[in-house]
Amino acid sequence: MGEILQYIPGNGLFHRLHPATKILFIIVVSMATILTSSIPLLVAYLLLILLLALSGRLLKPVLQQMLLVGLMSIVLYLVTILTVPRGTVIGYLVPGFVPYIGGSIPVTVEALIVGTVLTLRFAILITAFQLFVISTQPRDLVHTMERARIPADYTLMFIIALRFIPTLQIEGKRIHEAQLARGYHPGEGFIGRIKSVAPVMVPLVSNSIGRATLLGLTIDIRGYRSRTRTRLRERTLGIADRIAIPVMVVMGIAFSYAFFFTHWV
Amino acid sequence: MITLESVSYAYPRTGRDAISDITLSLKRGECVLVSGRSGSGKTTLCLAAAGILEHEYGGRKSGSVAVNGKDVGDYRDLSDLSTSVGILFDDPDSQLIFTTVEEEILSALERRGFSPEEVEERLSRVLAVTGLEGLKDRPPHALSGGQKQRVVLATTLALGTDILILDEPTSELDEKGTDSIVSLLKELKAQGKAILLVEQKYPRLAAVVDRYVILEDGKIRTEGTADHVLSDETAKKTLIPDFSGIRGENVTDRGRPPIIRTEGLSFRYGDDEALSGIDLEIAPGEFVAIVGENGSGKTTLIKHFIGLLRPEKGTVRVDGKDAAKAPVAELAHSVGLVFQNPDHMFFADSVFDEVAFGVDNLKIPDRERAVIDALSTVRLEHLRDLYPRWLSRGERQRLAIGCILAMKPPVLILDEPTTGLDGEESREIIELIKRLQGDGHTIIMVTHSREIAEECADRIVRMDAGKIVSDSAAGA
Repeated sequence: MGEILQYIPGNGLFHRLHPATKILFIIVVSMATILTSSIPLLVAYLLLILLLALSGRLLKPVLQQMLLVGLMSIVLYLVTILTVPRGTVIGYLVPGFVPYIGGSIPVTVEALIVGTVLTLRFAILITAFQLFVISTQPRDLVHTMERARIPADYTLMFIIALRFIPTLQIEGKRIHEAQLARGYHPGEGFIGRIKSVAPVMVPLVSNSIGRATLLGLTIDIRGYRSRTRTRLRERTLGIADRIAIPVMVVMGIAFSYAFFFTHWV
Repeated sequence: MITLESVSYAYPRTGRDAISDITLSLKRGECVLVSGRSGSGKTTLCLAAAGILEHEYGGRKSGSVAVNGKDVGDYRDLSDLSTSVGILFDDPDSQLIFTTVEEEILSALERRGFSPEEVEERLSRVLAVTGLEGLKDRPPHALSGGQKQRVVLATTLALGTDILILDEPTSELDEKGTDSIVSLLKELKAQGKAILLVEQKYPRLAAVVDRYVILEDGKIRTEGTADHVLSDETAKKTLIPDFSGIRGENVTDRGRPPIIRTEGLSFRYGDDEALSGIDLEIAPGEFVAIVGENGSGKTTLIKHFIGLLRPEKGTVRVDGKDAAKAPVAELAHSVGLVFQNPDHMFFADSVFDEVAFGVDNLKIPDRERAVIDALSTVRLEHLRDLYPRWLSRGERQRLAIGCILAMKPPVLILDEPTTGLDGEESREIIELIKRLQGDGHTIIMVTHSREIAEECADRIVRMDAGKIVSDSAAGA
């Protein structure tokens, strides 16, 4: 089963970086991506991130997410085609030979360009975020956030959300099997499909809600929210961090300068 | 170390006391086993003793709970109490938060004010005593139910509290796993720890337990040493499942062709071989128990009988159908599979609708009759309008069987049908299964429990590492 956004033990470049460096990395990448709408530049960013993934020996799990990016891009293109109807028309979503409604919904060059930009931005953000999540142990993240004086509750919320993705996947599969054994068949048509969600979703949600109480108790009992902590196996800033942090700060300033004072990007 | 003085408690929005007038004490170096039917208040008692009811729950409370001579209300919060009391809940998944076994234990240890050396020391010791060294880098979701239980236990033990409250720590473990926990508990007791244990496997735990508390409808029915408690007939039935006289006549019809036949059945999950070369024939009307350790392939095998898994090699024929190809919905007419956890199936608003779901799916004629008949067979007609999740564990298990029964399959497969049930409830389930066999159903039961297999089934098929290692008539 494909595992979404789960920590992968390893010792590549990203694993050795301090979580703070990686958070900075995400911030700079997000800035750079949102501030530009140049397609060549965005392609270059994406390639750069994939190159970093390769050097961190994490290319394969990152590429597995490309299916999601592909699906999302279809949605993004559709939305832009529907919302940017003016400009150079190069065709119609409904071909002209269809009676009555033929020739409606024009596809413009401008829409395609916006769609491409959005898809690239989405791909870059997803990839960067994924690199961060699969190479960082939640425990290190909790420590880093603590130092930044961010309350443990927020960090715990974040890591629990990630942690329960595979558990829900497995449980969903079990429930699905249990219902199949009762002759359950996903309905047909749109309404049928919506209706057929209940036999799987209701047990999944009810069981999760039941679980939340115990989870909350466990967090309190283990003292995860307390501020005292034995300092051991701490992450310290290594050589890679010392190089990466100034580089990213300079890049962040450069992007902002380029965006606000020049017309390069 | 823990004393409860006439403690009563009712959950919010319920009129009924979940526990009432409980007076109990737990001394240093003592292990007390709490048992009783599902819904008798065992888990509530654990929550009360750990001070959790006091600090986290609303509802109506009376009486007092003291830990180490201090009232639980006088502790600052749960985190403060947890330096004295370690508690393990019955659902391991909700107690695993981090991404590896080692990180899970470490994250709890580093919040206790121990020195770094001591944290490392405790970590390696607890990994060793719970046999988890080989799994320390594994993520929790990749572990089996039994392994998860061991990780949660390890995290609780690592904190080194003098009082341990353990709610069903071995429910998903096989005999070997349970025995290793029993010897670990013995060691902890020798170190002077006080242990409050909720568990159903009395015969296996007898070696470590000093005192028994049997709950009935939230009250203590009887308590004391084994001899004292076992002199009470009802308490005895709770602790020791009594299957005597249940076997009856073997009604297997060997004259007819087998209803299930596999030849050379093999299956693998990725690279792991789960079944290899299974040849098995089951006659109509037979009661077969499939036994074996965790991970020996029992559940993988039965999923092939209803098409949830398809053989990689070999053939499976069920009731004249090719189970390698036939759709699950078609096989469901022949085979009913009751999964281990009934909560994986309940979604309807009433017991009646829950049972009707399968009946409607298979378009069984005379829907009303089919549902009512099934409910009366599992003795739940009086609860037909209730919300399924409000039933007790034992009732939910019977409802799960009823849901499948209403679909009228000639073959019934039950995966661990007595998990979490006390002796009497287990007997009720087995009696029900025997009645169904008497009505002509073929029964296949997967179980860890040797007692149940030997005393109830006609035939025992033992599996190990994906193979059938023995296949013999029971009681022979």
